[in-house]
Amino acid sequence: MPKSLYVLYESAAGFSLFYVENFESIASNTEEFQEALNEFVRFSKLVKLVAFSPFTTAEAAFENLSKLSEYEITTNLANFLESNLPKVKEGKKPKYELGVFDHKLAAAIHEQLKLPATNSEKITEIIRNIRLHFERFVEHLRSSDVIKAQLGLAHAYSRSKVKFNVNRADTMIVQSITLLDQLDKDINTFAMRVKEWYSWHFPELVKIVSDNIVYARCVQLIGDKSKLSEESLAELEKIVGDEQTAKNILDAARTSMGTGIEEIDLINIRSFAARVVKLAEYRKHLHDYLVQRMNSIAPNLSALLGEQVSARLIAHAGSLTNLAKYPASTVQILGAEKALFRALKTKGKTPKYGLLFHSSFIGKAKQKNKGRISRYLANKCSIASRIDCFSDVATDVFGRTLREQVEERLRFYETGSSSQKNSDVMKKAIDELSSIVKQDHEDKMEVEEKKEEEEEDAEHHKEHKKKKDKKKKKKESRKDKSHKKTDKIEKEKKKKHKQHS
Amino acid sequence: MAFTPRGGGGGGGFRGDSSGGRGFRGRGGGRGRGRGNGISKFGSRGGSSGGRGGRGGGQKRGGMKGGSKVVIEPHRHAGVFVARGKEDALCTRNLVPGESVYGEKRISVEVENPNDPSVKEKIEYRVWNPFRSKLAAAILGGVDNIHIRPGCKVLYLGAASGTTVSHVSDIVGADGIVYAVEFSQRSGRDLLNVAKRRTNIVPIIEDARYPARYRMLVGMVDVIFADVAQPDQARIVAINAHQFLKTGGHFVISIKANCVDSTVEPALVFAREVEKLKQENLRPVEQITLEPYERDHAVIVGVYRPTKKKSKTSNYEKESST
Repeated sequence: MPKSLYVLYESAAGFSLFYVENFESIASNTEEFQEALNEFVRFSKLVKLVAFSPFTTAEAAFENLSKLSEYEITTNLANFLESNLPKVKEGKKPKYELGVFDHKLAAAIHEQLKLPATNSEKITEIIRNIRLHFERFVEHLRSSDVIKAQLGLAHAYSRSKVKFNVNRADTMIVQSITLLDQLDKDINTFAMRVKEWYSWHFPELVKIVSDNIVYARCVQLIGDKSKLSEESLAELEKIVGDEQTAKNILDAARTSMGTGIEEIDLINIRSFAARVVKLAEYRKHLHDYLVQRMNSIAPNLSALLGEQVSARLIAHAGSLTNLAKYPASTVQILGAEKALFRALKTKGKTPKYGLLFHSSFIGKAKQKNKGRISRYLANKCSIASRIDCFSDVATDVFGRTLREQVEERLRFYETGSSSQKNSDVMKKAIDELSSIVKQDHEDKMEVEEKKEEEEEDAEHHKEHKKKKDKKKKKKESRKDKSHKKTDKIEKEKKKKHKQHS
Repeated sequence: MAFTPRGGGGGGGFRGDSSGGRGFRGRGGGRGRGRGNGISKFGSRGGSSGGRGGRGGGQKRGGMKGGSKVVIEPHRHAGVFVARGKEDALCTRNLVPGESVYGEKRISVEVENPNDPSVKEKIEYRVWNPFRSKLAAAILGGVDNIHIRPGCKVLYLGAASGTTVSHVSDIVGADGIVYAVEFSQRSGRDLLNVAKRRTNIVPIIEDARYPARYRMLVGMVDVIFADVAQPDQARIVAINAHQFLKTGGHFVISIKANCVDSTVEPALVFAREVEKLKQENLRPVEQITLEPYERDHAVIVGVYRPTKKKSKTSNYEKESST
């Protein structure tokens, strides 16, 4: 005897349960049947409403929606299903099936409520048509009510999505690095303006003081060059740093070929110079802030690459999580998209590096090794970003180790000196880490359990990546090896944690 | 920029990879406003369309540059209008008079009340810039049917900041509804603000790849409009159509060739996408390119689960056979 079928339908208004009569006869793809489904009268003969339980409050609706979208079963849903589905005698198999929206939900219900939930194309088809006719099944429910419920619920859901942004800390980094870059540009143009302006009065100063900010400070101090005297030498020396330069300035001021200047113009030049100096100070503050944030959010990546470059990487990826999800090959040319796509189109040569170019390693390498070291560095970066993203222990142990490895690699290209084995290096790093972890282990027991879960995620990403890499299988066998090794490391790490707890 | 010698090269690329890695950002986040650049045809018109006056030759309002007369005519597509002034502009009737959504120009005209000719009514229209909206570009490109009409329900995937969504909400009017799905939180913030003023927009900040997550928020719709610029766009549209699109409902998809595969010819990309759609029971009826408004973009319009009566020979097949 075929099992009977119930279908769960969730709407913004509430949960509802439908009973499907002679499900077996439904041959969903024939045209006549499609037409029949479009008419409520005929469809309602096939499918009957068993129960409808509206959400009592907007909060309840919101809670159910947000949990169910993550496939968590709410108590509301559990109660609703238990009270409306036929009772199953103990030890017997249920004589019905419960059709739900998709496989994942079916699995969740099956696991948590032990109900025979299922999903198939036919059930999807039925749910489609319930959605079409839903308002007419439920008495006293008008379609305008459903839309109102959808509207309110959608606003609440979307607002919460914006409010509880998971990448909160990352946005701070993204914003501050963009501001930092902008400030650099602006300070430069402003300083050029100060030079241009003041040079009408004292053209020789540009030659003596080359640094932009020092120049602006000098402008602030000197003002009218004819009034510069021995008395201000000490102060001038403080600004420029050495006695000789200060003297040179004084001499140049006496023999200057610049035009005279009025008091009011001078005031304006000076106040602008003061602005530039202030801006430079602010830039420094901002940089300190960025360094501090980076060291707390992405310690390993910062240790490997330096704060600015790693912040740019994060900014370009959008968030640390996004960066961690990228394969190393993507990290390598991050920031060189234009060149990459042009190369792909014209079948030319793809770029060697993007943002990574600014790291000191690339500069140190010889021309023919730049591509190699960039690839190696990108691999290490992607490892570091993953550790940062999915680890709760905030240390830069791995970052420093990875950095040493890159340096060793550089030396290898330079002199051919052999480097340490990756597994040895990583073992050392793990030992160091575990000694740190031991120290503050007790108060972190709970946190660690969480971490393990997250590491599983990390591993999942890694596997994903490995598949990709295998596909490419170019000369990058080394890269693969290092990945496998890090996988091992992750596993070892886990073991350690388990031993502790 | 230096290049690395990496063999004859060009193989694969990032996006084409079947493993689903997204490589670079396509469209979602960060795009914010401003698909259009400053060269907008309409933006530069300055005074001409800003004028109102209209038929009644009414008085001029502050801020608006008056002068030339503007006549509003209905467009071939219901709910869309054309403002005829010095130059023509596409526009929609503003659902929330007195407000611009993204800084676009407004034109208001006075018309006689059909019931009482002595009373004059003000109607406000918002200018619709084809450089910023692919739907507007498609309309100006002469698309046969946009299927979005007053009173209909639309699922809009890839709503971004809600610029085009606001015009769609104008077209469907108070009786229709627009379910606007956008993944990026930054753009979603702007979308929420648009939706606050327009009650026929249901804002959904969620990934369109997972319709299960917003299944409770969406009812059956007449039309799906998709502008998601993702490599798996066809699949995204298909899974949403299976859940939410009425049998015989329509879809309008804008495809950016570069986002699907940047290594092959755009025409080939479009052909492949059409093939994918057909397999999902989404039958394409019409395809146009968005030149000169966008480069390498196409809009494909079609019908979901067509019934036999309608599908003798679709325009699409006629076109492709010639």
